Amino acid sequence: MRRLLAAILVALALGSCAPNDGRTHIYLQRFFGECSAEYGASIDVAKAEGECGIMTALINRFNRENPDVRIDVNVVAWPGYPQLTAQMAARDPPDLVTMHEGVISDYAAKGLLDPVEPYLQTAGISPDSFTEASRFGVTIGKHVYGLPWDTHGGLFHVNTALFAKAGLMRGGKPVLPNSPEELLTQAKQFTARTGKPYLIQSLVGDPAGAARNLYTYMMAQGSVLFPDPRHIKLTTPEGVRVAEFFRRINVEHAGTLNMDTPAAIAAFVSGEGGIYPTGTWMIGSFEKEANTPGRPLYKHYAVFPYPRLWGERVEYVSGHSWVVPARKRTPAQRDAIGRFFRFMAGHNFDWARTGHLPAFKQVLDSPQFTSLPERQDIAPLASIGRPLPSYVQRQSAIEGLVGEEMAAAFTGQKPVEHALADAEHRVNVLLSEVN
Amino acid sequence: MAASAQRGRLSGIGWVALLIGVAIMVAPIVWTLLLSLKNNGELVGHSGAALYPPYTVENYAAIFGNSSTLRWLLNSAIVAIGTTAGVLVLASLAGYGFARLEFPFRRTLFVIVLLGLAVPSQAIILPQHQLFAWLHLHNSYPGLIMPGLIAPFSVFFMTTYMRGIPRELDEAAMLDGASRLTIFRKVILPLTIPAQSTLAVFTFLGTWNDYWWPLISATHSDMYTLTVGLAAAQMNYAQTSGLGYLMAQAVFASIPIFLVYIVFQKQIVRAMAGTAVR
Repeated sequence: MRRLLAAILVALALGSCAPNDGRTHIYLQRFFGECSAEYGASIDVAKAEGECGIMTALINRFNRENPDVRIDVNVVAWPGYPQLTAQMAARDPPDLVTMHEGVISDYAAKGLLDPVEPYLQTAGISPDSFTEASRFGVTIGKHVYGLPWDTHGGLFHVNTALFAKAGLMRGGKPVLPNSPEELLTQAKQFTARTGKPYLIQSLVGDPAGAARNLYTYMMAQGSVLFPDPRHIKLTTPEGVRVAEFFRRINVEHAGTLNMDTPAAIAAFVSGEGGIYPTGTWMIGSFEKEANTPGRPLYKHYAVFPYPRLWGERVEYVSGHSWVVPARKRTPAQRDAIGRFFRFMAGHNFDWARTGHLPAFKQVLDSPQFTSLPERQDIAPLASIGRPLPSYVQRQSAIEGLVGEEMAAAFTGQKPVEHALADAEHRVNVLLSEVN
Repeated sequence: MAASAQRGRLSGIGWVALLIGVAIMVAPIVWTLLLSLKNNGELVGHSGAALYPPYTVENYAAIFGNSSTLRWLLNSAIVAIGTTAGVLVLASLAGYGFARLEFPFRRTLFVIVLLGLAVPSQAIILPQHQLFAWLHLHNSYPGLIMPGLIAPFSVFFMTTYMRGIPRELDEAAMLDGASRLTIFRKVILPLTIPAQSTLAVFTFLGTWNDYWWPLISATHSDMYTLTVGLAAAQMNYAQTSGLGYLMAQAVFASIPIFLVYIVFQKQIVRAMAGTAVR
C-alpha cells in the first residue's frame, strides 16, 4: 500500500513538472466546453461541429502545423473570469484568453491586458480588416486589445411553417413587423390562425435577453445609454417607450410568460410559437432541427436580425475575442502568439459555422460564408451591430442589473418607470464604485 | 417485546405517507439517472423523452473519453482524504488540549477559535488568495488542502466530545505512569472514534463538494478537482443542448459521495440526530 502511494506521489510530481521539450509553450485559456472525447485528436476542422468541436480541432491543427510551438489548453467553466482574475492576482495569467468584448475594458483599464498591435503586425493583420462591430468591440482609446473572433447578438428565429399558416409569408420569406403596432397586429393574426403565441420569450432567469431588448431599441431611437463612463441614462421617453411596449406584448398575450431559456428553446423546437428572439449561438442547434425529418422545424426555419421597430436599424451586439494578458514573455512566445493570431484569422470562416458572425469583412463577404444557410439574412448584423461604448466598465454586471429590472417591468412585477429608475440607480451606484 | 413490535408497526396511512415521502425523495434521483441515459439531441425538444427508450451510455462514455476526468477524480480524492486526515489530527489534538490541559489563555484561545465560526469564508477569500499566491501554493495539493484545515467547528466538536469523557480515565492512566501523549493516543483517542467518524464523513463530503476555493486556486486543468473540471467541461448552454451529459456528470460526481454514505450511514444518521456529541 505504501509503495503504491509512493508511486502515485512520484507520478504526480513528475506530471506536475514544467515541460522541457524544446518547443515554445503558449498557455491558452478558453471557455466553450471540453470535448476531447470526440475531438481530442481531430485536426479536420471542416468536419468539426459546434463551438467546442471547432475550437478543439482548430487548436489541434495549429499544434500540428507549428511543431515548434505547443499550445497548452486550459478549459474553464463559462465565462472563466473568476479564474482569470485569480490568476492575474497571483501574477500567473495565461498567454491567450477568450474574452467577451464587453469585458475587455474592465481588464484593460487596469493595465492587465497587452495591446495587441505588435501581434497583429507579426500576423500581418490590419484592424481595418475587422468588421465595424468587431473593431468597435476590441478598440479602447487608441489601442486594440484583442483579436476579434466573432460578433454575436439577438436574432428573431422564425418557425416558417407557423408563419405560413398565419398568412405571414411573402415570396418565401416571413414578414417581420416594421413598427410596434404592426408587431401587435401580426401577433393577433398569428394567434387567431395558429392558436399559438407569436413570440416565445425567456423572461425567467435570462437578464441578458431583457437587457438586449432594451439596449437595442433604445439605441435604435438614438438614445445615448452611457453619456459618460460613470453614468447610464434609462429614464428617458425612449426607455419608457421600449419598456412599455414589451409590457404591452405580455398584457395582450402576444408572447409566452414564465419560461426560462431551456423551456423557451424546447417550446420553439417543438413548434409551440412563431418567433423566438435569442442569439446567434442557437443557429447551429436550430439548423440541426431544420434538417431532421419529422421535427416541427424541418425545412421551416428562418432567422433575421431584430426588426426595426423605431428609428434607425441598429442592434446591440457583443463578440468574442482573443486577448493577451500582460506578463513577461520571450521573443519566441511573442512570435508564437502572432502566428496563432494569423492562424485563427485565417480560420474565421470555420468558426462562423457555429452561427456567430465572422469578425473579418473578407470572410463576411465571401461566397463561402454567404452560401451557408441563413447567413445572408443575418449578415447585416455585422454592420448594424453596436457594442456598448468601450469606456464603460463592468458591462457584464450592468447587463445583469438592467436585465433583472427590465424582466420585472416586462412581466408587470414592477411599474415601468420604477424599474427604469431602479436599473439606472443600481448601475450608477455600481459605476461610482469603479476605481 | 410485543408492545415494542406494536409501536414499530406502521398503520396503512403511515405506509402511504412513507411511500409518498420516499417517492418525493427518490424521484429527482431517478429523473437525473434517466436523463443521463438519453441522447442530448432527443432531450432538446422534450425532456419527457427520458421516460421511454432508447437509452444510451454515450454520455458516460464522453465523460471517460475525456482524458482529464480520472486525473480530476484522483485530485478530488487526494484533496478530500488529505483534508479529512488533517482535520481529524488537528481537531483531535486541539480538542484534547482545550478539554484536558491547563495553560495560560486557554479560555480566551477557545473563544478566538469559536469566533472563527462567525467569519464567513467569503470575507477572507481575498487575503487568503494573496497569501497563497505569495507562498506559491496555488495549483498545488497543499494549496487545495490547507484552507480546509482551518476548521473551528471541528475543534469545537472534538473539545465538546472529549469533555464528556470522564477525567477518571486520565487519572488512572497517569497513576500507571502514562504520559500525556500516551493518554491521548491510547486512552482518549479510541473513545472518540464515533465522533471522529462523524467528523470525517462531514469533512470529506464538504471537501469533495467544494467548488469555490478550487475554482480560484486550481487554475491549471491538471490540478482541477472533479467539481471544477466537470463544470469546465460543460458547454455554455449545457442545460439546453447537453442535458444528458450534464446529468451524467452529476451522477458520476455523486457516486463517491454515495459510496461514502453507504459505508458510513450509521455515523451520518447518528450525527444528524445529534447523538454523536454526548
